[in-house]
Amino acid sequence: MTPGRALRVSIISPAGLGYDGEAEAIVAPAYDGQLGILYGHAPMMVLLGEGELRLRSGSRVHRFHVARGFLQVVANEVTVLAEEARALEVPESGATGVSPPAP
Amino acid sequence: MAKARDIQRRIGSIKSTRKITRTMEMVATSKLRRATQRVEQARPYAAKLQEVIERLVTPDLVELRPILRQPERIERAAVVLITSNRGLCGAFNTNLIRTARDLLDRAASDGIETDLHVVGRKGVNFFRFRGVRMASERTDIGDAPTAEDARSIIEPVALQFVAGVVDAVFLVYSEFRSILRTPPVARQILPVFVPEERVRSGPWYILDPSADEILSRLLPLYVVNAGYRALVETAAAEQGARRTAMKNATDNADELTYTLTRLYNRARQAEITQQIAEIMGGAEALVD
Repeated sequence: MTPGRALRVSIISPAGLGYDGEAEAIVAPAYDGQLGILYGHAPMMVLLGEGELRLRSGSRVHRFHVARGFLQVVANEVTVLAEEARALEVPESGATGVSPPAP
Repeated sequence: MAKARDIQRRIGSIKSTRKITRTMEMVATSKLRRATQRVEQARPYAAKLQEVIERLVTPDLVELRPILRQPERIERAAVVLITSNRGLCGAFNTNLIRTARDLLDRAASDGIETDLHVVGRKGVNFFRFRGVRMASERTDIGDAPTAEDARSIIEPVALQFVAGVVDAVFLVYSEFRSILRTPPVARQILPVFVPEERVRSGPWYILDPSADEILSRLLPLYVVNAGYRALVETAAAEQGARRTAMKNATDNADELTYTLTRLYNRARQAEITQQIAEIMGGAEALVD
């Protein structure tokens, strides 16, 4: 991954900041299905449903359970706003849903 | 002059009370720290939510969404009063209750009917004692309120508002401006009011679904969040008030102990002097 090609991500809930950092890819549970966001995405506001949000940062994958939320992309900044945003355990390996970067 | 032993007993009782107030002060201090943290952690969410709503609201949407529509006349209002479950925090609950009663009185003189919803044992007990009818009572909210707690309090009133049963919803709580400034306030949370000049334009966003539909989901979150913030701020203010009250009590105990110790020493000295005088008198009588 080229440096400087990452999204700035913050996951905000009433209980505080669930995540604040960079990520190369995000898969979010939109209200009508899964939604993938990569660097350079057009500005967007989308309603989230209830489900798992995954974000890949380097080799690490962070998983969150979100509900009653909303996602905003603008200038490679992704803000996830959710009344419920709970970090989930990272699974052993694979099956993360976020595919490795194309060669 | 009081007997030395009586004074000593009083000093003992004040000292043991001081131990209690001092402990409560320290407990409140540590709870206050965590409560303040919760208040601060809730800020980014509230700020962002507000920003997004202001960005999505357009004048024609205001007409469509019941949550945004300003009623021409308020005929019935809901007042949600938040108090604490526990006492020993000075005038904290009294101030909140007074603010709520002022609001109720003002509404009554304007011919507005009111439903009173009370959270916290202190408020519930006050109005029950007074024989005031309450629309709902809650005493199960702890020191660390959650968004779920806020939802369970706000949602029923919000639904009444949407259904047109009430035309406005007020929240009475302690606003946590700083540790030393936590004034009781009465805020109108419904209908949500977005000042015209704050309505921003931003047609360069992809909206999915439409702005109207996003708003219809975000506005309830916003209203519930107003309730959450009120709960969290009141919880923090309560700990602050308790700390101040207990600190004053501890200081008073120190002062009393000091004064009484001097009195005790004087009384003790007087007793000794008297005893010596008596012995001397006795001895002199023998010599003669």
